[in-house]
This record gives sequence, C-alpha cells and structure tokens, in this order.
Amino acid sequence: MTDSRWRALLQRIVYASTFERVVISLAALLLSILVGGVLILVSGRLTTCPTAAATYLGVGFCYDPITVFDRLFFGALGDPMNPLFRPFAGEFAPPFRAGWSPFNSEMAVTLRETAVLIFTGLSVAVAFRADVFNIGTQGQLVVGAITSAVSLTALGPVAPSGIAGSLLLIPAGLLAGAIAGGLYGAIPGALKAYADANEVITTIMLNFVAAKVALFLVSGPLQRADSQIAQTEPIPAAASIPSVLFDARTGFSLVALAVAVCTALACYYLLNHTTLGYELRTSGLQAAAARYAGVKTDRTIVGSLVLSGALGGLGGAIYVMMIVGDFQTGVPSYGFDGITVAILAGSNPLGVLLAAPLFGIIQSGSIVIDTTTNVPPQLVDVLRGLIVLFVAMPEFFRQFGRRFFEDDGGEIDG
Amino acid sequence: MTTAVQLDGITKRFPGVLANDDVDLTVEQGTVHALLGENGAGKTTLMNILYGLYEPTDGRIVVDGDERSFESPRAAIDAGIGMIHQHFMLVEPMTVAENVTLGAEPRKWGGLAVDADAAVREVAALSEQYGLDVDPTAPVETLSVGVQQRTEILKALYRGADVLILDEPTAVLTPQEVEELLSIFDHLTDQGKTIIFITHKLGEAMAAADDITVLRDGQTIGSIAADDTSREALAEMMVGREVLLEIERPPVETGSTLLTVKNVSTPSQRGVPAVSDVSFSAHAGEIFGIAGVDGNGQRELIELLTGLSTPASGSIVFDGEVITHASRRERIERGIAYVPEDRHAQGLVMPFDLVENGLLGNQRTSSFANAGRIDWAACKEHASSIIEEYDVRPPNPSASAESLSGGNQQKFIVGRELARDPTLLIATHPTRGVDIGSTEFIHEQLLALREAGVAVVLVSSKLDEVRGLSDRMAVMHDGMFVDTVDPDAVTEEELGLLMAGEHPTGGEQ
Ligand SMILES: Nc1ncnc2c1ncn2[C@@H]1O[C@H](COP(=O)(O)OP(=O)(O)OP(=O)(O)O)[C@@H](O)[C@H]1O
Ligand SMILES: [Mg+2]
Repeated sequence: MTDSRWRALLQRIVYASTFERVVISLAALLLSILVGGVLILVSGRLTTCPTAAATYLGVGFCYDPITVFDRLFFGALGDPMNPLFRPFAGEFAPPFRAGWSPFNSEMAVTLRETAVLIFTGLSVAVAFRADVFNIGTQGQLVVGAITSAVSLTALGPVAPSGIAGSLLLIPAGLLAGAIAGGLYGAIPGALKAYADANEVITTIMLNFVAAKVALFLVSGPLQRADSQIAQTEPIPAAASIPSVLFDARTGFSLVALAVAVCTALACYYLLNHTTLGYELRTSGLQAAAARYAGVKTDRTIVGSLVLSGALGGLGGAIYVMMIVGDFQTGVPSYGFDGITVAILAGSNPLGVLLAAPLFGIIQSGSIVIDTTTNVPPQLVDVLRGLIVLFVAMPEFFRQFGRRFFEDDGGEIDG
Repeated sequence: MTTAVQLDGITKRFPGVLANDDVDLTVEQGTVHALLGENGAGKTTLMNILYGLYEPTDGRIVVDGDERSFESPRAAIDAGIGMIHQHFMLVEPMTVAENVTLGAEPRKWGGLAVDADAAVREVAALSEQYGLDVDPTAPVETLSVGVQQRTEILKALYRGADVLILDEPTAVLTPQEVEELLSIFDHLTDQGKTIIFITHKLGEAMAAADDITVLRDGQTIGSIAADDTSREALAEMMVGREVLLEIERPPVETGSTLLTVKNVSTPSQRGVPAVSDVSFSAHAGEIFGIAGVDGNGQRELIELLTGLSTPASGSIVFDGEVITHASRRERIERGIAYVPEDRHAQGLVMPFDLVENGLLGNQRTSSFANAGRIDWAACKEHASSIIEEYDVRPPNPSASAESLSGGNQQKFIVGRELARDPTLLIATHPTRGVDIGSTEFIHEQLLALREAGVAVVLVSSKLDEVRGLSDRMAVMHDGMFVDTVDPDAVTEEELGLLMAGEHPTGGEQ
C-alpha cells in the first residue's frame, strides 16, 4: 500500500463513529477466529493422536477448530444453543436448548470475571481520559483486596448477625477497598503532578511493592492461624456478597454485577455530565487549554489517579467478598486485563460494559476448553492472546493515531 | 511565460461541508499569487490539496504541464511544491541547519555519518542566495517568529521547492518583518521561484502579488492582476458588500482605575528577565494597547495578568483588590476575560465540539453548571448564540473545533470571551487570521465594550489595529515598557524606533 493509503486508513480509524467502531471490533473478532482456526488446524496436524477429532477434506486433524470455538463462546454460556437449530441448513427448531438455564455454573464464571473486569477496566479507562496511563490497577486492586479482607475480619465480631450485618459489612468492605486503592493511587498521582515522575514507571513499581507487601503480611503477621498456605482469616459470613439466582458455590453474585454496572453508569455520568469530568477530560486532551480554563491540572492528575485507584480497590474488595472470602496470594491478573478492556472500550465507561463481558467469556470459555477437550492449555492461551490482540488493535491505533495526526499539524490549520 | 501550477475544477467535500466547489486557479511561473477570501472560503483546503495533504473529491492538478495526483506531501515535495504552514514545524532545541536538513542530511564517510559542516555550509549558501539572512548555527528556540518562518522557507527550498505555498504568513509578523518577507518574495521570484500566499490583508496582497484570486464559499469569484484593482474592489469581491476599512473611535469618558500593575518582573526560562519592572494602569472605558515586536515579553506579561503565572516581584491590583497571586480560576470569577494568543493549544480543545468549547472557562459558572452538574441544554444555547452573533461557519454547534477554519475558530473564541460580560478584557491578537468583514465586527465589539465601561488591554502585532483602537499605548521591548504614547499623535517612525528599544529623543534606554 502506498503512503497515502496508510494515512487514509489510519485517518478513517481515528475519526470513525461509534457505530463504525463497534463494526470494526466485530470484524476483528471474526478475523481472529479465522486466524485462530487455521492455527488450531495446523497444530492439530503437527501433533499425533489415536483418533482424529475432525476430518476435513479427507484429512484428519487432532483438534477441531469448530469444537474449540464452540466451547470457548457457547461453553462459557452453558451451551444455550439447540443442536437442532440450524438456520443455514433450513431447520428452524427453537434456538435455545430445552433445559438450558441462564443461571448455570459456566455462565456464573463468565459473569463473575466480568464483574471484576468492569471495575479494573473502568479504573484504567478513567485515568486514560485524563491522559494518565495507570498500569498500577493490579497493585491498587491487591491493596484494596487485602485492606477490605482485614477490616472485615476486624469488624466481624462487633457487627450484628444476619441481614443487618450484611447491610453494614458489605458497604464497609467496599468502602475500605475503595479508600485503600484510592490512597495507593494517590502516590503515583502526587509523584507525577509534583515531582514530574512518569506514572507508567511508578505504577509498575508500585505493583511489585503491593504484591510483595501483601505476600509478607499474609505469610506472617496476618496469616490465618491454622493455615499452611498464605491466606488471611476468613471474612465473616455476613460480609460475603449474597448470590442471587445462581448457586452460591460458583462464587458469583448478581448483586456484585449490579454494583459494577451501576459504577460504570456513574463513571459515565461523572465524565460527561459533571464539571469534574469536563475538567478531567479537558486536561487529558489539552493541558494548556485546561489551565487556560482555570483547571488546576496538577490536582486533576492526582484526582484521576485517586479515582482510578479507588475503582481498582473496589474490584479487589469485590474479589475478596464475592469470590475468595479471604485474601490470599496469587490474585489473578485482573488489573492487567483491565488495560486491554479499557483500550477495547475506547476508554468509554459504557464501552467497558461491552468489552468486559467479552473478556469474561474468554476467561470462562478457556476453562471449559481445558476441561472438555484435549487441546493443550498453551494453545488456548495463544488463542486468547490472538483474540485480544485483534480486537484491541484498531482501538489501539485509533488512540495513538490521534496523536500522530495532532503532531502532524498540517491536517487542519489556520 | 509558463504556467507553474494549474488547478482545474477542484472540488473537496467534507462530511456536510463543501469546502471547495469547482475551483480553478492558474499560477504563472516566477510570479507571486495571492489567495484572498473570507474565513472558511476554502483557501487552506485548496492549498492542502495542492500539497498532497488532502485528496480532492474531483478535479485536476497540473504542475509544469503534467497532470499530477499527490498521494502525500512527500510526493508534492518531489514535484517541487513546498508549503509553510501557519504553525511552524520546527524542532526548537535544534539549530537552523539541523532543522533545514532534517531527514535529508548531507552524508560523509560513505553515508555513515551526518556531515554537519556541509549542512551548515549548504544552508548558509542557500540563505545567501535568496537573501534570507538566517544564521545556520543558531538554535531555533532563540529566533524571532520572522526568522523561524524564514527557516521554514529554507527547509522547503533545501528540498528543491520551486513553488512555495505560504498560509497566512504575515498574520504573525510585525510590519517590519512583513516588509522583509515581501522583499524575500522578490528575491525568490527573481530567481524563478513561484509563490502562492494566503492573506486577509488587502494592502499586502496589492503590494506583493502579481495576480490575486478571490474565493468565496468554496468557489472562485475571479482572478485579477494586482495592478488592475483596488482595495475597495477586492473587499467587495470577497465579502459581497462594501467594508469600512477605517477604525472610528468615538470619545468616551474614562472611569475609575480598574487595573494597576506595579513594578512587576518575572524571569524567563533562560534566567534573563522576560518582564522587567513593568508598571501601568487601565481604566474603565479605556483600551490600553501594548505594541512591540513579538517575543519581547508580551506573552509573559499577559500571563501574569491572567493568572497563568505569578510575578517574582511587583503587584497587580484589580478593582481595588490585590490579585498578584490570585489563581486563574479566581480571576475568571472576578470578571477578567482573556482571548489567548494560541488558539490551538489554549483557546480551544480541538477534539471537542463547539458546545463543549463554549463551556471552556465557564465550567464552574452557575448558569452552566449547577452543583457540579453541567446543564448541556444551556451550553448548547450558549454556543449557538455565539455562532450566530459572530457568524461562525459552518453554523453547527456540534462541529468539532478542529474542523473549523482558522478564522472561524478565532471568531468563536472572541465570541465566548466577550459573552462573559467582563469587567476587564485581555485580548491578544483578537483578529489574527480573521477576514476583513469579521475583523470590522470584532473591532466594533471591542469599542462597544469600551463604551460600556469595560477596561481592555490589547496586544496585537497589527500596528493599525493597536493604534486605531487604543486610547493609550505602551511600546514593549526586551521585557520593558519603553514608553507610553498617545496613539493618535505618535508617528510611524517614532513607533519603529520605540519598538527597537530606542527613544526618538533620548537614545537607548
Ligand atoms: N477536516 C475538516 N473536516 C470538516 N470540515 C472541514 C475540514 N477542514 C476544513 N473544513 C471546512 O471547510 C471549509 C473551508 O475551510 P478552510 O480551512 O479551507 O478555510 P479558509 O479559507 O482557509 O479559512 P480561514 O481564512 O478562516 O483560514 C470550512 O467551512 C471548514 O469548516
Ligand atoms: Mg485557512
């Protein structure tokens, strides 16, 4: 392609409308499935197996791409589709399988992951709108999680039991996580605003600090009395978020998901309908214009990282109160996945509500593939990576292409 | 005579806007061609098409007799077309020679290393040949705007440009620098180069150009030889009506002192004082002008007044209260409006639409935000009323600021700041890039503010503008006020000397 074609393409992506962006993302998803399918076939040829999983054009393959993607997407939803529903073959049976309930355990895993990813995705997205690249959501989540666990165990003995206890403890746990995460976010914020320290570097370092300090605490001073592994005392039963409609053992709560969705709506409202959000977006896009408008950009930077950290901390509290019931080491990389969620969402809180479920499905579907097929987990990881890469790439180009055109200067001029 | 550039039926459509509509333009080799037209007429778009930045929707580009289609500026440069944008694209800390040769450096050791000495030599020779008078070893950040512009010209020449396009090159220059630029045009055309330049100043077009083409609403109104026309006729062609080119300043009773600046000083980044010991006052119903060559501390002084920075020493009193260290926010709330110098970086948030830009600086005003919640309906109404009153085109409040032409951006900013109902207005280059019709309107608005008892501090590089509008006028040089004069009494020569830092009577200050 020639120079100008690339320019034109990039320009189209940069200035694409919301609808176009959704279409582009879906097309990228489809493309990643095609490429992934080829990859599955090729690796299926390169391995040996007693019986072929699939035969195409007379050639046998050890792994079947159709099964893999069926497990990944539909397995993650608990197999909703009726096998007799084949619209392309002209058979129109009811599309949903009889006996399929949306409250199945695979769906629970999908939504459970989605709930936490909404928080971490929002955390990264909100900071990004202020032109702050917060890589530290993971650390903020860890700090929020451990603080929430510890304060709940401390509050447990004094709290009333039953519903009253839940009504007190659950908000308290969320608040503790948010405050701790917010304060932890304030550190890189202050360093950036007042000491000109690059937030990418400081937040990465603070991720390590959070992980190491947490490890020290749970394998020493805060370790559960009778436990062999590094974990805190369990939080009081009244503090775990009640699961509604879903089996409690799945570790998923619709209440938590509702809190996540409301938080996303609140973030959207904050960014688009309040003075604070306007100032945050203005200083993110053009700091000089923000100063001209009387915005204290230093404070906005600190504020955006506090908010970002608080959202990460909330994610940590939800993780403790919904999933694990205590704090233990080995927190999954929700914070890092939040970065991809935010990029895919175009840093828009409503976009996060669309991007997070996709990642939830991929997480949950990979577990289904691992348990129901012979496809090695490494290959599943590669497929996951492919999807993430393809789907996030156009948005990535959009956000960085924007800078390219701005630096270029010549596009729009006096 | 041969034709250097011929544009034939060029049409360019942006979503919802027809920026160029079947435009024809013929430029003879070795001549200076001026492009005139109101804000948003499509001048910049047309030149961006010739320079390969935009692909035309329709039409032919013929350069030196060959039909061409440029896919990128690189292709246009290879065909001998260079463009100097209003915003310079120079790397500030690098020297002139480094900037000029950037990306096309002379090589030594078989191409292994940049030959810095050869670069300096070549740039010096080029500068000499075209009478540009630029020191190749000077770092760009130390140069005045005029010299930076000449560096851009050198950059284009170094890449082999035969046709030079300049988009409003004189908007940022002082009258002295304009003279110099126009004589450089002569040097260039004498040696066979062709020049196309965009301007809003009719006098300049008449003086410098051989031919003039006027655009209106994206269409060619006509091309005419500069010798066969008059300012009045050109104005009529551009606007479609007669334009009053004089500024009438009716006498107004000045009121109380609103702004008192006492002995303020501030260091610049390089340690030398950017503003040193400046004192003045401005009264209600008065326009106080500040004239001077750009870069003599005007920007720093204005930042002290508007609260973007605070002075190292001295005091500022506004409406009876000391505001020396008051924040920008506080000053906005006290009724100080500010038309900033840099509309792209400060005055507008480029990706925002006009509704959002109308809120800039007002985001904590009770009429637009209630308890931290923005009233977007009120904002939209506000933007629409600015658009209507200041004739911002296209009249669409949901257009992004970056899609507006330069002059329309400026009109929107002026409209927003004047709509603040200020007690004190600080306006830097309020009509920069604005066409004559709208300039006239903005002048009227400034005079109306003055009549309404507002104090105005005006900085402008247009001498006629400061002289015509100001009741009193200070001349700034090297961070100091050389003198404060009566703009009606001072002569052009005296002003020239003052701006060079000399007292007509007393010698160097
Ligand atoms: N990238 C763009 N997207 C949409 N509209 C655009 C874009 N660039 C220019 N326009 C529109 O095209 C028209 C012509 O703009 P152009 O910048 O060429 O005007 P101009 O003659 O240079 O005006 P000025 O004297 O104010 O600089 C304007 O209405 C402008 O809003
Ligand atoms: Mg223009």
